Amino acid sequence: MTFEPKIIAFLCTWCSYTGADSAGVARLKSPANVRAIRVPCSGRVSPELVMRTFDQGADGVLVLGCHIGECHYDTGNHRAAKRLPILHTLMQYAGLEAERFRLDWVSASEGERFSRITTEFVEAVRSRGPVSWRIPPEHVLAMSRQMAAAEPCPYPETDCTGKTDAIRAKAKELLFSGAVACVIGYEVGPRGRTRPSFAYTEEDVERLVWNPEVTNNLTGYIPVKFRRSPIGPPEPQKPVAVVVKPCDCRAINVQLAENHYKREQIHVIGVTCDGLRGANGGLQARCATCQDRVPLTCLYERDESTWVGLGIGLNEKRTFHLGRAWHHAGRCIGCNECERACPMEIPISLLNRKLANEIEKAFGHRAGVTVAPSPIVTVLSGEYKEGT
Amino acid sequence: MKKAKPEGERAKSVSDKRPVEYSQRWTISHKELETWLDGIAAARTLLAPRDVSGVTLYRPVANSAEIAPVFTRPLLSVKGVFFPPTERMFTIHKTGLEVQLEETFPEWETVVFGVRPCDARGARLLDAIFLNTNPVDAFYARRRENTTLIGLACKELGPTCFCTSVGGSPDDASGVDIMLYETEGGYLAQAVTEKGRYLIPGGEWKETDLAHQPSAAGSQYHVPEKDEWPGRFKDDYCAYVCPTCRCFVVRDEVLAPGEFERLRCWDSCMGENYRRVAGGHKPRFKRGERQRNRFFCKFYYFPEQYGLGAASACTGCGRCIEVCPVGVDVTEVLVDMEEQV
Amino acid sequence: MSANPMLPYLGKLVETRDLAAAITLLRIELLNGGGEAFRTSQPGQFAFVSAFGLGEAPFGIANTPQRGTAVDFAVARLGSVTTGLHELGEGDMVGVRGPLGNWFPMDKFKGKSLVVLGGGIGGAPLRPVIQHVLDHRADYGRLTILWAARRPDLLVFTDEYDEWRAAPDTSLHLTVDTPDEAWKYDTGLITQLLERTAPLPENSVTITCGPPVMIYHTTNLLAKMGFPPEWNYVTLEARMHCGLGKCGRCNLGEKLVCVDGPVFNMEAVGDLLETYL
Repeated sequence: MTFEPKIIAFLCTWCSYTGADSAGVARLKSPANVRAIRVPCSGRVSPELVMRTFDQGADGVLVLGCHIGECHYDTGNHRAAKRLPILHTLMQYAGLEAERFRLDWVSASEGERFSRITTEFVEAVRSRGPVSWRIPPEHVLAMSRQMAAAEPCPYPETDCTGKTDAIRAKAKELLFSGAVACVIGYEVGPRGRTRPSFAYTEEDVERLVWNPEVTNNLTGYIPVKFRRSPIGPPEPQKPVAVVVKPCDCRAINVQLAENHYKREQIHVIGVTCDGLRGANGGLQARCATCQDRVPLTCLYERDESTWVGLGIGLNEKRTFHLGRAWHHAGRCIGCNECERACPMEIPISLLNRKLANEIEKAFGHRAGVTVAPSPIVTVLSGEYKEGT
Repeated sequence: MKKAKPEGERAKSVSDKRPVEYSQRWTISHKELETWLDGIAAARTLLAPRDVSGVTLYRPVANSAEIAPVFTRPLLSVKGVFFPPTERMFTIHKTGLEVQLEETFPEWETVVFGVRPCDARGARLLDAIFLNTNPVDAFYARRRENTTLIGLACKELGPTCFCTSVGGSPDDASGVDIMLYETEGGYLAQAVTEKGRYLIPGGEWKETDLAHQPSAAGSQYHVPEKDEWPGRFKDDYCAYVCPTCRCFVVRDEVLAPGEFERLRCWDSCMGENYRRVAGGHKPRFKRGERQRNRFFCKFYYFPEQYGLGAASACTGCGRCIEVCPVGVDVTEVLVDMEEQV
Repeated sequence: MSANPMLPYLGKLVETRDLAAAITLLRIELLNGGGEAFRTSQPGQFAFVSAFGLGEAPFGIANTPQRGTAVDFAVARLGSVTTGLHELGEGDMVGVRGPLGNWFPMDKFKGKSLVVLGGGIGGAPLRPVIQHVLDHRADYGRLTILWAARRPDLLVFTDEYDEWRAAPDTSLHLTVDTPDEAWKYDTGLITQLLERTAPLPENSVTITCGPPVMIYHTTNLLAKMGFPPEWNYVTLEARMHCGLGKCGRCNLGEKLVCVDGPVFNMEAVGDLLETYL
């Protein structure tokens, strides 16, 4: 029996869906493998949908929209044209063959074009067989080289008492002057591990330290400080101070761009960093600690999302990790907190780095360098020309 | 708000409750142990601590050579054997208006080698929920019944171990079926239950009436100096590595058109959406509240809910301390809770 | 080996009726032995209803078995399961697991006056209480029903108000937060309505169900008005996933809402209610 691929086609209702009709009316052949899902616009096809479709057993996903310039909503297809190719690259990086995903444009009258594209696509997927997500050996090699290259930053032995004293002095000054309600810094726990600490009083301040093991990115705690409980009286909105390493400070720009708080609500105690000793804490479950530790929120965190299956199979994990990386595209500042937190020592950041490169290539955007939100959610039109 | 009971009362071990039924003992050599395990692995599923890319986990092994030679305890507890991270409860077949439900039960016999006393105790604490409190959980019961635990007493305590502080001990044989104690040149094996006795090769091993030497130094973990409880963090995986955390979530997943399965899956009370109810209200919205609930659950609610009395639901395995990315230390929190009572 | 307690009974939807905006009443006829199980269901108990393929969610049983063999559930469209249930039509199959939890001790309430306070969809588990009292009218004293919702179109069981009002020694008071032009009853929170109505605490039982904030403020006010805590009953909701005391999600302090509840009196709940918020 020959392999019959399952193809899901997301068709824009204004053009491609009608295009498919035209193909039918003109009695043009189009393969029966294609299961059409009618969407209001190709811009509606979120990357999560595509990933969930693969997760649920599709062998190929086709997205067809209106030609650029003909969108019923002006910019919807620009959005698709901007986001989906980056998703395509990401999925290829994770081992999906390029032929299995295609974004193209079919207008309402182009029945012939619809027929041709679907036939081509189905044939290409058929020749590839069932979906397997196999990363080519040369890519694996490149990845491991990249991982090897990403050595933990070297730690030159320096005396940290100066920095510790300076942090304490500043913290005291801020707390006593009433400028801030809390200083978020580091302390050494009872087992000698350095961990986040929250100082509210003079006694607390004496615990604050700086040492070569201050790995946690503390900026993740700032939005929490300013979040209001859904019920009950509002929390006092007094500013907080936070101890920040140079590599973490970009997260603040991202958070500011996303309106988690206002600049005047925080007091940043920047500390130069000579490098840290890596501290890594393995998990076989829906762990999601990586997503909890990073300073930015992710869609998968927002509710009991059904974008990812409940199981712990490879499919679900892949969808989760790709989706998580996607939600940090243009926002990930490379603090590597996710990878440090992973007890299974999964090189999570590979996906983030890949996407960061893609975003920089496509939009010239680097996360957190300025207070600017990720272009992947904001740039809507004018940046895409057909053929580029 | 009621406070947790004082530590002194809590420290009583659940292991007191079950008498050791069997006490037949044998001395065996390393070679004999290997042959025995190889035999078990050939006949049924043998799970044992195994090195999986740098992390020790209970995994199926084909022979004794695959077992990690040295380990304190696997990163994940043995609870996953009885209470898997995801479990199918039944499948749903839908054709038109007709719906058929098909029950699926796990059918396999497993032997787990290298179970540390803290994990065995964790399994007995889970028994209190799933077996000893009505209604009996059919899945857990079946898995538990079909699993034999071969315990291995701890020669030394790991850096985060504190079992002796919560009423356990590194050579507590009460939760396993067969207990092994390391001796010079081999092991002392003790059949603890009938199920365990059944697994021991008759006649081949040399019987002995020697008592085992105390394994690890039975000293209490030195409880660290009092510090402020940093109850403002959130992270999930303490619940996943914990041998007694059992919260789960239930949902349907699609298998094929018209075919679904109902799954249950581990969950963690530390997640912000754990208590989210229809309409979006989230009780225990703050990290501190969630953390308080977790610790209170472990040391007060859980024992209260499932009739353990003064015992705590903590086995002192120290995994949560080891994996916490922000260094929350349960022993430290306990001291703090104590002082607030 | 014991049976699988997570396996639901199959049930056929025999009627769906819009109760309010995005709230539907599902009337389910149970198959394969489920009818037997629900014949003894008590006011205040709950059950899990499955939308097959999506999952299951807990709902208060909204009728007494004396009012018909089918089981009623009031379902507000809020999440994936409830949306799935709303999309079903008559003749579709659902799963029902229950009845679960404890119930209002209606025998203990005999001879007492009842004050029933329902907020929004929280009225659903109170409906069997009202039905029971109306069916055994001579056993109970005065029945005061305080019914509240955010908007008039969110009031549930509107078509039964006439029956309630017509019953002897029974009064119904309605209030909404934001009235529309046609609204001719009270406006404001249920606590304000309670203060205005001022039922007497002597020989009375109060039964409250609604959103957490409402329960919190209402029970506080009731205590202030002199209703003794052991006669202030509430029924609480939580995000339950098993209903059997296993999944651990619904704890209220050391109590589990699914097996120790959902019906509590305020003496048992006490300060724990704050952790419920």
